[in-house]
Amino acid sequence: MKIKITKQSLYLLFFSIILLLFVLIFSFLVLIPEGKNYREQRSALNKEAMELRRYEEFADKTLQKLKELQSENTHIITSFDNAFNSTRFQKQFRSYFTSLELSKQEPLDDEDEFSVYEVNTTSSINSPQSFYNFLDAINKADWIIGVDFPIEFKRDHELISSSFTMRVYRSKKASQ
Amino acid sequence: MKYSYIKPRKKSIISGELQLIFSFFSITLFMLFLTYAFLLFKDYRFAQNIQDIKQKMVELESSVQRMNSQITFIEKEVQLSERITTKNTVLKDSIANLFDLVPQRITLSQATLLKNGLILHGVTPNKDVYNFMLQAPLRSIFHRTYSSFYESQNGWLRFVSTNYIDEEELSLESPKYEEVKEVDDEN
Repeated sequence: MKIKITKQSLYLLFFSIILLLFVLIFSFLVLIPEGKNYREQRSALNKEAMELRRYEEFADKTLQKLKELQSENTHIITSFDNAFNSTRFQKQFRSYFTSLELSKQEPLDDEDEFSVYEVNTTSSINSPQSFYNFLDAINKADWIIGVDFPIEFKRDHELISSSFTMRVYRSKKASQ
Repeated sequence: MKYSYIKPRKKSIISGELQLIFSFFSITLFMLFLTYAFLLFKDYRFAQNIQDIKQKMVELESSVQRMNSQITFIEKEVQLSERITTKNTVLKDSIANLFDLVPQRITLSQATLLKNGLILHGVTPNKDVYNFMLQAPLRSIFHRTYSSFYESQNGWLRFVSTNYIDEEELSLESPKYEEVKEVDDEN
């Protein structure tokens, strides 16, 4: 029995085999490794994205903490940034004294990240209560001021003349 | 001379069926290359996204560091401010206590508060009043107390009382925090 194969069928068979071989070789040598690479890259991206989300959450929490700290301590932060102004100080605190005089501020050694200035004060008061009121009020001043030793009270007829030292603290960042 | 009544059709090496088959082949190849191109593109995009994420992480890290240093600085400011506020309040209480300590029969003319001491100038009716009513409480506070007297025109006694706290003894009485902590750890 003789099988009759046409020329066209032969071409078809030949091209089909070529195509099949090409598809197989291309798939195994190129497509499958590339697909594997794609999967690896995708999981790496997901991992990085997750890490980024975690980091963003952490950054958000840190920012929130910073904002809370800033809003809770606005007065302290601005007080550390303010430069000491003796005229304004006298205006604010003259009411506690009969007379109040300040010497020129002199820089002391820095404390950590803060510049420290010393201001000597001479004043007259009616009673010690005025000085207590002044010490209460100084904690709410526009500057961070600590009253320091030596403190001297001297009887001067009906008044008490007092002299004391004040240490004014300012953040170095603000003073630069 | 014609041998057939129908018109002869043109014969070609690529027949209609073969053309159909070739178009299927082409579609197969096209889809194969398209898949490959898609994978390549996606790989490129993934690599780019990872690069972007890494860049963003570096930026976030530096911003977190900046915020942390700001937080530390604000905490330092708050700590220092609280320390100064407490110091002012303690100073106020100390001065109030000092003036409360002086009995009515003794009149002060001058008081000097030092870091580790107190100097008082005043007038007392006699030495006993001074010794019992002022020196005794001063002795309980200060480690060293010196007094000197000289007579006033009206018969009263002027006095100068100098009182000091020894810082060495003070540190022995109230050991530092670290030392206390060490003792606690041992227990």
